[in-house]
Amino acid sequence: MSSNTVPARTALANATIAGSFAAALAMIAAPAFAAPKPPQPTMDKCFGIAMKGENDCAAGAGTTCAGTAKTDYQGDAWKYVAKGTCASIKTPKGTGSLEPIKS
Amino acid sequence: MPATFETSFAKALLGAEATFPPGIAAHTGAVPARRFAVYRNNVMASLGAALAQRHPVIERLVGGEFLAAMARQFVMQHPPRSPLLAQYGEEFADFIAAFEPARELPYLADIARLEAARTRAYHAEDATPLGGDGFAALDAETLGDIRLQLHPSAAILRSPFPIVTIWAMNSGELELQPIETGQGEDALVVRPHLDVEIRALPPGGAAFLQSLAGGRPLRDAIGAALADHAGFDLTGNLAGLIGSGVVRAILSPAERTP
Amino acid sequence: MPIAAHLPASAGVGFKPEHAAAILAAAQPIGFFEVHAENYMGAGGPPHAQLTALRERYALSVHGVGLSIGSTGPLDRAHLTRLRQLCDRYAPASFSEHLAWSSHDGVYFNDLLPLPYTGQTLARVAEHVDEVQTALGRQMLLENPSTYLDFAESTIAEVDFLAEISRRTGCGLLLDINNVFVSATNHGTSAMDYLDRFPLHRVAEIHLGGHDADTGDAGEPLLIDSHRVAVADEVWALYREVIARTGALPTLIEWDNDVPDWPVLRAEAVAAQRILSGAARASAA
Repeated sequence: MSSNTVPARTALANATIAGSFAAALAMIAAPAFAAPKPPQPTMDKCFGIAMKGENDCAAGAGTTCAGTAKTDYQGDAWKYVAKGTCASIKTPKGTGSLEPIKS
Repeated sequence: MPATFETSFAKALLGAEATFPPGIAAHTGAVPARRFAVYRNNVMASLGAALAQRHPVIERLVGGEFLAAMARQFVMQHPPRSPLLAQYGEEFADFIAAFEPARELPYLADIARLEAARTRAYHAEDATPLGGDGFAALDAETLGDIRLQLHPSAAILRSPFPIVTIWAMNSGELELQPIETGQGEDALVVRPHLDVEIRALPPGGAAFLQSLAGGRPLRDAIGAALADHAGFDLTGNLAGLIGSGVVRAILSPAERTP
Repeated sequence: MPIAAHLPASAGVGFKPEHAAAILAAAQPIGFFEVHAENYMGAGGPPHAQLTALRERYALSVHGVGLSIGSTGPLDRAHLTRLRQLCDRYAPASFSEHLAWSSHDGVYFNDLLPLPYTGQTLARVAEHVDEVQTALGRQMLLENPSTYLDFAESTIAEVDFLAEISRRTGCGLLLDINNVFVSATNHGTSAMDYLDRFPLHRVAEIHLGGHDADTGDAGEPLLIDSHRVAVADEVWALYREVIARTGALPTLIEWDNDVPDWPVLRAEAVAAQRILSGAARASAA
């Protein structure tokens, strides 16, 4: 795409921006963009596909005017080991190890 | 009025040690330690639950026990300052980043930032996003000088970790599978209508949006994006800008200088 | 000030967003809905969209849980302003809050905490109720709490405390019958005695909710006002007794934790409505 080759240091010509706008509007109008896409967010062009997750969760906490019968376990955090799906994630800066962390 | 009962009661509610304030009583005559513990438990359990509800992906990643224990530490250090619980936990991501037992999950803090941004977007001011029509009639002569007002729900997050993929795999959007590479991802959070949407931004896209959000003209934003990533795809990013609903209005040069 | 009963004298339900689709899909036999004020203080988004849709179809009660009227310190003016804006926007038939405190020195505890009942606290709470009614430009209802302990310094019985607040400020009372039962059990007193002494003529709304059983420090029963189960039989019995004396009153089913599917919650409201309708027929006969 021509816009990729514009040097950062020179002022961008309005005509170039206009050309990209026209192309962008054409992309949005194209039927391919209206169709459902496979869920591959990192592979998608533009801003990726829109993912909603469970939108109820986005609300955060609701209030209650009641007490709770569930006892909050008063344990020490440093004795806990993460036991969720983090085991499957390995990044260069951390292993997601399930080994107990010594305090 | 002396605030003695309230002051000691409040102090005992959030103290690290299970204690109780003076002046409380029970009809049995017994020391009402268990009775006071009901209130203490209500406070801790409900605030822990509030953090869990705002961070369902964190809960999935580390499990309920770990989150509850981490939340307890957080609540004692950062109790709410407002009765608007949906906003509680703005400091949770920074707390996680410094939380020793979570050290081996370095991406966790950025996931918390993404989840907090999602809640903010959910409750943000409503606004109709500018559609493609709004961009079609722009004057080519002054195009580089236009500024864009982003949607009030919009947030841009940059991370050295694959936060969008991790979030998507733990919120039912993608199948859960091992992540080995750890390529960083930038996220756009926006609620153009009623649903909060999360998108992975292409290279340079975050710098582009952050520059626009900072009130810079389009030309400068493109420059910032190119400086961030030489292969910045202007057409693709403009399509994303329009298609995602992240723009609320175009501020023309004339509007800025009356 | 006379008690203005603006809510319909029928059975209502505490609104939960997870029920929005079921409620809005088809007309439901529900007299009114009650929402917690603090859940509708964001700028926009789905909460306001849902509340707007609900308000178009049903009478609305706004129930505050975070104003901390029982605090020794001053009321949170910013929060009072938010409440006024909410009431102005949705024009609810009723606004209510609790005889409890939840904030101290800027920290919010997210629980309805108890206060000693003394001449001093009575004066303070009355000032706060006055302030709320002035700020909102409407009468408010004050609700009796569930409590788990007493204060050695208390000198006034809770019923007398509430009656005097209502007399001084003109506020109405919200009688939570589950709270009456929970507190009476927890303090080894009689719920029926409490109701006998309660100023029922000041009651403009009734709450019914579920509780859980625990034990206190000497092994005695300690009930937790959990709102996560159905209304208990003993509470239904007390409710029938109250309605027989007062006639039909707006009655809310509260279910805040482990919220069930809509039909289960609706069935609780239908059960309350049956009692209310029975009272209406009895008074007409």
